[in-house]
Amino acid sequence: MKGFLAGLKLEMRIIRSGPDALLPLFTAPLFTIIFLAIVRNGGRHDLQPDALMAPVLMTLWWFALFQGGNLITGDRWQGILEWALAAPTGFASVILGRVAAIMAFGFIGFFEVWGVGELVFGVGIPFEHPLELVLTIVATMFAMAGTAVVFAALFVLTRNAYTFTNSASFPFYVLGGVFVPIAILPGWIQPLSSVIFMSWSADLLRGSLKPEHIHDFWGRLGMVILLGAVSFAIGRAVLALVLRRMRVTGELATA
Amino acid sequence: MPGPAVAVEEVTRVFEPRRKRDARVVALDRVSLEIPQGEIHGLLGPNGAGKTTLVKILSTVLVPTSGRARVLGHDVVEEAREVRPIIGIVFGGERGLYWRLTGRQNLEYWGALYRLSGGETRRRAQQLLERVGLLDKADERVEQYSRGMKQRLHLARGLVGDAKVLFLDEPTTGMDPLAAREFRNLIGELKGEGRTILLATHDMVEAENVCNRVTLIDRGTILATESPRSLGRVISRFQRIDVEGADQELLTRLRTLPGVQAISETDGSARIEVAEEGATGAVLKLLVDAGVTSVKTSLPSLEEVYVHLIGDRGLEI
Repeated sequence: MKGFLAGLKLEMRIIRSGPDALLPLFTAPLFTIIFLAIVRNGGRHDLQPDALMAPVLMTLWWFALFQGGNLITGDRWQGILEWALAAPTGFASVILGRVAAIMAFGFIGFFEVWGVGELVFGVGIPFEHPLELVLTIVATMFAMAGTAVVFAALFVLTRNAYTFTNSASFPFYVLGGVFVPIAILPGWIQPLSSVIFMSWSADLLRGSLKPEHIHDFWGRLGMVILLGAVSFAIGRAVLALVLRRMRVTGELATA
Repeated sequence: MPGPAVAVEEVTRVFEPRRKRDARVVALDRVSLEIPQGEIHGLLGPNGAGKTTLVKILSTVLVPTSGRARVLGHDVVEEAREVRPIIGIVFGGERGLYWRLTGRQNLEYWGALYRLSGGETRRRAQQLLERVGLLDKADERVEQYSRGMKQRLHLARGLVGDAKVLFLDEPTTGMDPLAAREFRNLIGELKGEGRTILLATHDMVEAENVCNRVTLIDRGTILATESPRSLGRVISRFQRIDVEGADQELLTRLRTLPGVQAISETDGSARIEVAEEGATGAVLKLLVDAGVTSVKTSLPSLEEVYVHLIGDRGLEI
């Protein structure tokens, strides 16, 4: 727990010290305006919840991918990784704490979207199923954090992580059904999307903002949690494997 | 009698090439070393000698290819969890810190990693910042620190866990002479607290001034382990005599004395090398009889031993 709290506090301080890390919080309001403008201009006021939830998910994803994904690589390039591993506290718990802090900052996007919708278009977040909405958000952040741990572990293996992060966002937005529901995408994409937790999250988030009954809520929420748990398990295993391998090959440091 | 603080047995570390065309590097070749508790031990060698590799192995961040290393009886590979709380690591250079955070925040993070409570972390950070002379800069970002200040923060970081064994790898890199002298005083204080210190350096003065014993290492092999004073005997068992004011006739007579191996002259002074027991006395008698009183006898310095054993290879690694 000490490692988790140390990581949480460290990342809070790092993010506060560097506004560039908060870039997605500047783009979230812009995406909100774009998406709301599109659906309203198309006369599809029923899709306003979709337009509100898309920037929320995109912001969380950005934080997970860019901030979370580069945690270990950043430590390695700064010459910190080796000495963090030589400390008594387990490194994985520190990373989890840092990812949790990142996700907490990412959640600020939810309130931004809400505020911008209200201010610019007079469209608030319709809390039709508040309990379901809260549970879905919590489960989504959990799964997002798990994904960030996987990215963090994998990105250490490559020198081109930034290339990947720069190009991977939009495919995941499509596959995750962030703005366009999976159901209206070509059929062959749908099996691929079903293993991406965001596709389940996005549907549930949209559903919880609409008055209709949410079909099979608990089952679908379970899928988000399950996929998140799998991500965590994979992330921890990959992290342990990568760090053990680097101790053997002597690649923990970059110089 | 307590066991050694550090015991290295036949440790070899080979770095395999990532590409076929690169050569494999033998960073350590069957290195054995024992450091008793409470000793300040210098690890001297040029760049690429294997000093940092040994420090990394002892710090549990690198696995040896073969051999065993133990810190206070704990194996660094099999019992890494037991080793980590009892060691502290300090290294040279500017990396290894979060530059956007303040010195205090950096120390608080490392204190938490060493499982100190929140209050203890803050107290310890305050003490250490004071000890390394950074208290008035404690709340400035590290990116605003000079190189020497970063180095002092590294030292504080290494001490945050109250380690029994400290590994210092080129710790005075970037420090000005005064700061380096303060640092050496601090090392003396740490020894007084009963800590064992392994100091990897290529600074002869540093090693000579603070170390109880030094190990000379080059190309992954240990060349000698001695106290800095007696290490001179590795290359010469006999003293040298430095004189001023000896004329050519006297130097010629000195050359004929039994046991005088060589005489070198520079700017009115001369160095007489002897290679036999008793030769020093005969040389001194002749000098005093000739009225030369500016005479100094000495053993080879650590720097001379270093150059002799490792070779003067310029910038070559």
